[in-house]
Amino acid sequence: MKKSFYVWTRDLHLYCGLFISPFVLLFATSVLYLNHAKLPTLPPAAPEIFQNVRIPDGIVERQGREAVNLAREILPQVGVTGEIGFLRVLRKEQRLVFPVSRPGLEATIDVDLSAGSVSVSRRRTGFLESLGYLHKMPGPHNVNVRGNWVWTRAWVWLADATIYLTLFISVSGIYLWFAIKAERKIGLSLLTLGAVVFFGLIYAVIR
Amino acid sequence: MPSSVKATFETWNRKFHFYLGLTFLFFLWLFSLTGLLLNHGRWAMAQTANERRETRYERSIQAPSGPTDLDRARDVMRQLALVGEIDWPAQAQPGRLNFNVSRPSDSSQVRVDLSLNRAAIQHFDNSGMATFRIFHTFSGSRVNAPDSRRDWILTTAWVLAMDALAVALVVMVLGSYYMWYRLKPKRRLGSIVLAAGLLSCGVFLAGLF
Repeated sequence: MKKSFYVWTRDLHLYCGLFISPFVLLFATSVLYLNHAKLPTLPPAAPEIFQNVRIPDGIVERQGREAVNLAREILPQVGVTGEIGFLRVLRKEQRLVFPVSRPGLEATIDVDLSAGSVSVSRRRTGFLESLGYLHKMPGPHNVNVRGNWVWTRAWVWLADATIYLTLFISVSGIYLWFAIKAERKIGLSLLTLGAVVFFGLIYAVIR
Repeated sequence: MPSSVKATFETWNRKFHFYLGLTFLFFLWLFSLTGLLLNHGRWAMAQTANERRETRYERSIQAPSGPTDLDRARDVMRQLALVGEIDWPAQAQPGRLNFNVSRPSDSSQVRVDLSLNRAAIQHFDNSGMATFRIFHTFSGSRVNAPDSRRDWILTTAWVLAMDALAVALVVMVLGSYYMWYRLKPKRRLGSIVLAAGLLSCGVFLAGLF
């Protein structure tokens, strides 16, 4: 019974680890980019103007997710896909401006509400920026509108799965290590060293 | 590769896998749990991470000294007993020294009138959950702000710990590929599972939608 539990744990540790390993590599390498990169960003391309765009009724009056859902109806008309960050209504100028982003692209959509025209500025983002983007999505800001794109919701699901499986792998890893008697002493020493550095750093930063 | 070298590599590769895992266990747990909080701003627990207590006060100070704004800001911080990472507002105002100081547990907006030698401070004490969450993003550097620099030694130390965890995870993953591949009975199912992971991650990374 005990051996069976050990074997099951070892196999799950292996297969769960293999599944999330590309995500772990993505999150780990993007940390180095987010912590250190000062890369010049690529400039946006010249804006494209789209005429006779159908602007959904009530888009200015609605709030939050409702307004974002209406704004999403504009995107296929101007050939843009991605997550809408927020909406900015410029009432005096009768304009609606919002950013749209996804890995590989950042776009700004500028809607002239009275003329029914839309200006779209696109900026291609590089591989490292895409890594950073995925690392930070969905993030803590604008939670009421976040996840308005189906692929963002799918990414959240996968990012969550990565976290839960990482927690499982770390706990099962402790069990698998502890089963090796010859490694207990040095393992405990390293665990203690890690704990001292971790709690020591936290104490130093917040004291 | 001679068999003795191969055996030594395999032994140490396996040992490193759990040695690194054990050493960085607490860091891994912190970044995992705070990652969940950052991804789920609607959770009640995440809402408490938005709570902070604000206080405002003013102090007379001695004229800040130093050749650069950074030195002068540090002098003001010393006088006001503030510590943390300095961040500069988008635009400087003539006759004033304005800066922000932050660390996971608290932050302050400091506005100094240099003609009156008077500092107005808006101070925020973060809740415990907010402090916990901020550790995930506490790097003192922003990719989209090329001029931002780390200027507090403890921010640098924390970033080094983040980097070390990231490198350790990459080493552990690459080492685990080797260990798995050496287990012939596990290759087929392992290949399927790894391909599923690569595909689902790669679709997003390549922006194939």
